[in-house]
Parts: sequence; structure tokens; C-alpha cells
Amino acid sequence: MSLLGVFGISGSGMAAEAQRLSTVASNIANANSSVSTGGQPYRAREVVFRSVPVTEGDNTAASAGMAGVEVAGVVESATPFRSVYDPGSGFADAQGYVQMPNVSPVDEMVNMISSQQNYQADLDAFNVAKSLALRTLSI
Amino acid sequence: MTSPLDAGLGLYRHALALRGYRQAILTADIANASTPGFKAVDLNFSQAMNRAMGSDTSGAGMPAAVGTDTGVKALLVNDARHISASDLGGPGTASAPDELPRDAVQYQVSAQSTIDGNTVDLDQEKVTAAGNAVDYAATATFATQTIKLLLTAMGGAAQGGGA
Repeated sequence: MSLLGVFGISGSGMAAEAQRLSTVASNIANANSSVSTGGQPYRAREVVFRSVPVTEGDNTAASAGMAGVEVAGVVESATPFRSVYDPGSGFADAQGYVQMPNVSPVDEMVNMISSQQNYQADLDAFNVAKSLALRTLSI
Repeated sequence: MTSPLDAGLGLYRHALALRGYRQAILTADIANASTPGFKAVDLNFSQAMNRAMGSDTSGAGMPAAVGTDTGVKALLVNDARHISASDLGGPGTASAPDELPRDAVQYQVSAQSTIDGNTVDLDQEKVTAAGNAVDYAATATFATQTIKLLLTAMGGAAQGGGA
């Protein structure tokens, strides 16, 4: 029954959006972490989504058009670090500049809103499928 | 698949399966609203429904023992001792495969796509999914009423009303 496939699809969507949201949270929390692992400033991270076909048990015919989503990987942003003039800091270089993370607060907010909306849409689709499935039980 | 009961309920069986399938496809579009390069798809419902009903000659709108082009009648099987025509290779009795119609799943024409090649319009998908959900519930309601009707015919109003 394809309706049950909805749960897997919207579930995968919610899981992926949740990971995207936690990446955003990580970036915002580390927006001022001038030292990260390896001694370098923190680099902003981004998730990359990929769609994966869903099959229902042995019914492979059901997979046409039914695609879930998964996180293919997490990439680090390649934009250059911000340089902040702070000669008093222990991390300042010879010219008095401190390298700060390349997190863009505007990008993160946009990502957060987009992720929130997609999560909400997945949740709505899940609830609709649930009510339809319950409705079917009462035929 | 030749019983008169199937003739009345086959329509709902196909319609509910396809509505459920379409709901899953629309949900997949919503789940992939941020996937780079994902192309939104939808189920051509009327095409899929025509295909499903065409593959099942016992479906609603056709009498259970409808004649075919070859002039061979589908056999009415309503007793365990009857021989079904599918055993004989007759027409109209091979049970319709519950395979979902792959070729009725088609790409949506998108008004605009994002720079990463995604063509999902989230608002449009939500509206379409909500409409499809209503259609599913309506079909389920019709199925319920038809079953009640049959119960009434079989056991009188007391049983039919209690379903």
C-alpha cells in the first residue's frame, strides 16, 4: 500500500532537515570560534542533500516517483576567513589581525528559515497520510 | 475478479491505491524540496485510472460478465467448485496485477526552478497534496457507503445501519 510509503518519505525528509538545522545551529554557535580543531578558525559547514528511491518491501514497482531524501555529506565552506584587527589577542598575527570563522549570519538565518519550512511541510504531509490511513481502516 | 461484489468495489480498490500512490509521490516532492537537481513529478491520475480499469474488466461501469471482442464471455465464479476462466486462459479473468503505473508518473512543468536545478514549488505541492487527500477521503467515504449498501441488501437495515 503506497500510502504507508509516505511515512518513510516524509520521515527521511524530517531527518535530513533536522540535520541541516543542527548544522545551522553549529555554525551560529561557532560564529566567533577563532580556534577550532587543528588550530584553524571554525569553517562553516553545509549539508548536501541527495534523493534516494524508496521501495516497499519486494514491490519494486512502487518506487517510481517515490523518492526519500538523505544527507549525502557535509561540506565545509571555502569562503575566506574574516580578518579582525585585534592586536591585543593572543591569536593575532604579526600585523595584529585575528582570523575569524567564515560563518555568514545572513546565510545561516536564510538556511534556518528554509529548513524550518521544509520540516513543517514534511510534518504536514506525514499527518495527512496518517489521517488518511486511519480513515482507510474505518471503511 | 469476476464476482459481482468485485464489480462494485473494484473501482474503489483501484482509486484508493492510486490516490495513495499519488499522495506518496507528492510527499516525495515535498521531502525533496531542497535537494539539488531534483525534478518534481506527479501522477497523471486519469491516465493511471483508465489503465487500471482497462486492465480489469470486472470493474465498475462494466457488467461482471461482459463480452469481449472475441465473443468469449468472462466466467462468473461464485462457488468453489466452479472453474475460473483464468485457469482456462480466458479473457478478463486474469487478476489485475497490483503493479502501480510507472509511466503515468510524469515530470511537472515548473514555472521556475532554483539555481541548483530543483523544480519543486513547495506551495503548489502542498495545495495539490491537500486536494489529493480530500479526494482520497471522499473515495474512502464512497467505498464505506457502498459496503453499507451491500450489507443492507444482504441482512436488512439492522445490520446495514450498524456498519
